[in-house]
Amino acid sequence: MQSKGPFDYFRGLYADRTHSMMSSEIRELLAVTARPDIISLAGGLPYTGVMPVEMLVELAERVFREDGPGAMQYGPTDGYAPLKHSLCMVMEEEGLRAYPEEILITHGSQQALDMLSKILLNPGDPVIVEAPSYVGALNSFMSYQPEIHTVSMDGEGLLLGELEAVLLRLRRGGRRAKFLYTVPNFQNPAGITLSAERRLGLVELAREHDLLIIEDNPYGLLRYEGEPLPTLKSLDPQRVVYLGTLSKIFSAGLRVGWAYAPPPLLEKLLLAKQSADLCTSTLTQRMAHAYFQTQDWRATIARLVKLYRSRRDAMLESLEEFFPEEAAWTRPDGGFFVWASLPPYLDTKSMLAKSVESKVAYVPGTGFYPGRRGANEMRLNFSYPEESDIREGIKRLSRVIRREMSLARSLGLDADGAGR
Amino acid sequence: MERDVSLRSGRRIARALRELGYEVSEHDVDSELVADLKAARPDLVYIALHGKYGEDGTIQEILEILEIPYTGPGVFASTMGFNKVLSKEIFLREGIPTPPFFALSAATFQEMGASRLLEDVAGRLGFPLVIKPAAQGSALGVRVADGPGDMAPAIASALDYDDRVILEAYVRGTEVAVSILGNEELEALPPVEIVPRGRYFDFESRYTHGGAEYHCPARLERAVAERVAEVALRTHQALGCLNVSRVDIIVDGKGIPQVLELNISPGMTETSLLPLAAETAGLSFLQLVQRLVELAVQKQPS
Repeated sequence: MQSKGPFDYFRGLYADRTHSMMSSEIRELLAVTARPDIISLAGGLPYTGVMPVEMLVELAERVFREDGPGAMQYGPTDGYAPLKHSLCMVMEEEGLRAYPEEILITHGSQQALDMLSKILLNPGDPVIVEAPSYVGALNSFMSYQPEIHTVSMDGEGLLLGELEAVLLRLRRGGRRAKFLYTVPNFQNPAGITLSAERRLGLVELAREHDLLIIEDNPYGLLRYEGEPLPTLKSLDPQRVVYLGTLSKIFSAGLRVGWAYAPPPLLEKLLLAKQSADLCTSTLTQRMAHAYFQTQDWRATIARLVKLYRSRRDAMLESLEEFFPEEAAWTRPDGGFFVWASLPPYLDTKSMLAKSVESKVAYVPGTGFYPGRRGANEMRLNFSYPEESDIREGIKRLSRVIRREMSLARSLGLDADGAGR
Repeated sequence: MERDVSLRSGRRIARALRELGYEVSEHDVDSELVADLKAARPDLVYIALHGKYGEDGTIQEILEILEIPYTGPGVFASTMGFNKVLSKEIFLREGIPTPPFFALSAATFQEMGASRLLEDVAGRLGFPLVIKPAAQGSALGVRVADGPGDMAPAIASALDYDDRVILEAYVRGTEVAVSILGNEELEALPPVEIVPRGRYFDFESRYTHGGAEYHCPARLERAVAERVAEVALRTHQALGCLNVSRVDIIVDGKGIPQVLELNISPGMTETSLLPLAAETAGLSFLQLVQRLVELAVQKQPS
């Protein structure tokens, strides 16, 4: 079995940061879930079926006919100006006002996360994240070797008392967090939304401690119930970097995201963008712009909301019907994910092997924490699988969990009260 | 569970075979596998599948029935090699040193209250204990228990990968992997030494995350190296292996090679141990693949 360990001739050449890039056994476990006979609740993919292919062909044709040479040429580093206007319109939909010159178009918001880390983080710098947090952001941060502090959440999002304790502890040590990273709407992976009251409290706390906030909002427009809440950016524009993306409302394949940042930060981001890739694809930016120009994009979002809402409902209903009563899960008002917690004596990582045998997959919880937490938790996706698959998948998973619980009981694990 | 490694091994082998001038078609394991094999009737099947089905005798049995030659050991060696309980029993019978162990099934816990046996197992074997699934090709589900409290959780995890768990005394020493090539005339390739980072509890993290250092040939005294090669050859023969195998060994404090397990489908990726050992012996990857093909053709289905 050792043979699968990485022997690597270039071992001596790597920078220190390369060793902190996370390669996970979870990836190995999930490789098998790509098989068509497995119902995967593990992915995080948007459903692209609501976009008619003919429309996409028209968009491409329009771009080439109207500005073919431009679409084949380099473009400005900060982005294609007409698209910036469209993106401001998208933000306005959530009540956030911005001028085009305040935003920088990035290759997906993932690039913005990487560039923010690049311009802000020295090795050992403290950063604060929600626990659990978006794994793509954690990976971005980890590459720059920060010290990651976590703050737990309840049904209303970040626990402000816990955040304040972290900030005070850092301050007593003469240190200051470089930023707080948060996904306030229908968080990936937990499906939790930061309440209106907490938003105000968070901004106030940030002011007190001079804390920079990175607000990542990929799912904001995918709300299935309740009233939209103000963005953190709108509550304190000078203290918040807002990240947007078209991945969940139009296309993840185009790789178009943006950062709306206070001017000095925007300038540094521009420098980072220049050295990273000169500019975001001029072709995909034009296609995105053509989409907003010619299509009823609000209607597309309405269709997505309707579809995802029924899938979410299917998942919540199945959980209610099949999951053991010892389990708990979140009830997201939007987004893509439900977060489930099993009894503390279960290990969702090894249980994945059993689940795959039963032809259903999920993502084990540990990957979403920088430390060793989350061993009994799991992320369940409802945006991609169809309703019937969601139902069948949850049913299969429930059987696996019940078998695990019975095995654990026979080992006396339920009595220990300790986690695995 | 070892799909990713299998696919990488497979792609690399297919490329090598094409470079060697063979006509190659690649196949995944799916419901069409048998139908496709019957239709194509290849001259040889190169098995690049690690773990379940590829290493446990499943694919081998199919190919025996179809009378299609294939690379690697046959049904008996695969079945015995993949199941660590069976292979360890054979080692004991043949006088091949292997760490002392006990094996328990999920049913003994669920239906016979075997959790009460754990203190007896610990009393007999002592700590630390290696706890692993009886049949699972990769390192998944392997944990080290340093004390009584670690045992039940580790057993529960191991039982997620197989219905039977092995509790094995942890042996301190130098870990080496020895690859064997041949049918009648056997050749032990230079041993590869694996140095886990840190102390023994990193054992687990090495298995699961990689991050070990490798030396080939292993830094062993000559007499010890010879003993290691001899034990590896005996292990290969004891399980009736043909073509190739990789024997995983720990050389204990007294210089005795203790055999942990035998793999009949060693990894063939850029970072795998068999290609590394072959290269040290002066055999390029292409030559290694060619050799394995020749050995497979020599060996007729039994």
